[in-house]
Amino acid sequence: MQRRSVVKNIALTIGAAIVLPAWANAWNRESFQNSFLKNPISQENLLAEIVETIIPKTNTPGAKELNVQQFVPVMVMDCYDKNAQEIYKKGFDLVENNAKNTYSKSFADCDAKQRLEVLNKMSKSENSDEKKYIQLVKGLTIQGYLNSEYVMTNLRVYEYAPARYHGCVPVKI
Amino acid sequence: MSNLNINSIKNQTYDAIVIGSGISGGWAAKELTGKGLRTLVLERGREVKHVTNYPTTTKMPWEFEHRNQLKKEVIDANPVISKCYAFYEGTEQFFVKDAEHPYVQEKPFDWIRGYQTGGKSLMWARQTQRWSEYDFEGPARDGFAVDWPIRYADIAPWYSYVEKFAGISGNKDGLASLPDGEFLTPHEMNCVEKYFSQETAKNYKDRHIIIGRAAHLTSPKQIHFDQGRASCQNRTICERGCPYGGYFSSNSSTLPWAAKTGKMTLRPHSVVHSIIYDEKKNKATGVRVIDSNTKQMTEYYARIIFVNAAAINTNLVLLNSTSHRFPNGLGNDNDLLGKYVAFHNYRATINADYEGFLDSTTDGRRPNSAYIPRFRNVFKQETDFLRGYASGFNAGRYQHEDRSGMGEDLKNNILNPQYNNVWSVGSHMMGETIPKASNFVALDKTLVDPWGIPQLRINVDYDDNDVKMTKDFFEQLTEMYTKAGFKNIRTNDSNRTPGLDIHEMGGVRMGKDPKTSMLNKWNALHNCKNVFVTDGASMTSTSTQNPSLTYMALTARAADYAVKEMRKGNL
Repeated sequence: MQRRSVVKNIALTIGAAIVLPAWANAWNRESFQNSFLKNPISQENLLAEIVETIIPKTNTPGAKELNVQQFVPVMVMDCYDKNAQEIYKKGFDLVENNAKNTYSKSFADCDAKQRLEVLNKMSKSENSDEKKYIQLVKGLTIQGYLNSEYVMTNLRVYEYAPARYHGCVPVKI
Repeated sequence: MSNLNINSIKNQTYDAIVIGSGISGGWAAKELTGKGLRTLVLERGREVKHVTNYPTTTKMPWEFEHRNQLKKEVIDANPVISKCYAFYEGTEQFFVKDAEHPYVQEKPFDWIRGYQTGGKSLMWARQTQRWSEYDFEGPARDGFAVDWPIRYADIAPWYSYVEKFAGISGNKDGLASLPDGEFLTPHEMNCVEKYFSQETAKNYKDRHIIIGRAAHLTSPKQIHFDQGRASCQNRTICERGCPYGGYFSSNSSTLPWAAKTGKMTLRPHSVVHSIIYDEKKNKATGVRVIDSNTKQMTEYYARIIFVNAAAINTNLVLLNSTSHRFPNGLGNDNDLLGKYVAFHNYRATINADYEGFLDSTTDGRRPNSAYIPRFRNVFKQETDFLRGYASGFNAGRYQHEDRSGMGEDLKNNILNPQYNNVWSVGSHMMGETIPKASNFVALDKTLVDPWGIPQLRINVDYDDNDVKMTKDFFEQLTEMYTKAGFKNIRTNDSNRTPGLDIHEMGGVRMGKDPKTSMLNKWNALHNCKNVFVTDGASMTSTSTQNPSLTYMALTARAADYAVKEMRKGNL
């Protein structure tokens, strides 16, 4: 815990906006305690493109900018069973293979439309690993995105202390 | 004793000792110090100070690494505590992990514990209803357990006394089955809850839907400000500890009040091994305490001892307090100690939809719900089972998001949740269980816990009465829901393990006769009159109310009696 806050503080002094966005909070590589998740930067980069494809940048940040790619593996590692972890590990190759088979290039080199097509196809795949991988990563991407500080303070505002309860108010349309 | 000099004995001597700092121990500490007694409060867990030791209370959802989900390794290592609704990433620090204090489940029993100052008063559900005359009369009328040695009139002034200090919100509903208290402003029922209340009043003359009575400062008074507490902020994350003191806990209320007298010594990490009995004096003289850090045993002495270790642990302390005079546990001449343990039957839930009020919703958050007081067998026996059940009732207009697809559409959909085209309604059952000799706790003959104290064997289960009552709950609530026009009614019997209700009671029951009960009408042991038990262990029957308010009132009443008796020279 202490080590992490030291790292955080260093990050702050050298420019949090670049090194460690304020809303990244606990999601940083230090959280990665398991070897398979300490994995190559390349896998994190691929995951970043996957989560960004699921929730892309529009006029508001997408999942990648909100560092959801750091939240997903922490959850898989800490909160899911071995089966889910295995599917998660296999999934990256499955994404790459699908991209290569369909577009003859890696997922990262595909354009946004092609990436979406790859993930959509996998989500309907007969291959249960592909389907489960998309389910897992998509679910966690939504969770990480909706529960990010950015979304909870700007888009779907979380009230820390409402100090009220009204039992009957008109629905706002 | 022999190696102690006079000074150290003096340093270890108090007027009173309170074992436990939870909801009833905190009250004992406040009352006894308030009456001028130098009081030692023994807490087996660590110290948790109000505000400063609530590490997660100001955390935002995104600050939890796992968004408040438990790690799998935590769930795997803690099959019991992981079942508790209040145990999550933000509250793990307040619950006892399974391995920390082992016990033997002769029958499955989920023993939910909080070892810290404040005990479970930090994480409790804060529902606070008075017992009625009909509840205290229950065992005598229906012929189970033994007659309570007190009636509503005995405890009513003490309910008022503790309610005013603790701060209880509620509506004066004027119901014989659930007496009104000294209420702060009630929480509001929402449109569908009010509708159900009105429909039920039309359909039944003896069934009522009211707002829950809860230990929240909805409209604090001077006495609450004097405690350093402020209005409830409707955060509904109470179980992490409340920096506003918006709900009642020992930490926010009774313990700091006791500390202010200068008469309280609070000793954390103090596991009570047993109570010391002096055969010549015919009373208890102190307690043996094991320091949970050093494992060293120390004796402390006092003229009176309040045992408020939480129901099951109070049984454990007394069972382990053996002497030549009491070889089977303190005060246990009749072999009743540890027996007639009971709990609340929470296994049944019912859910449904309501298609009205679709132009309305709620705003803000409410740390409470509506409540259906017991309507079965209240004034006379009406069914093929004994006693009855109270129920919660909650209506909510929930939202959902379309999570199909991926990309911009998905993003747009999850940022724009839609109201469901129904209100969701639901109730859970809180059934009275009948105390029986066969539901008991006892010491294991060989297994010991990490402090060298025998482990408890817990032997508690449902019976046929509970099964019949559960069936009746489903039938009656289904009928009430149907008459109110609720649709898509679903019932569920979780068959959950006893204990998870966290309303375990009994084992050291009150009664009139020393032959058939452990405690007298002042919560003192019949056979050791300077030892008082005022937590859940003292309960002769369980009724259907959430029990904490009754423990508070029993404690204040017993403390008043104990000090008067001390002053008369009787204790």
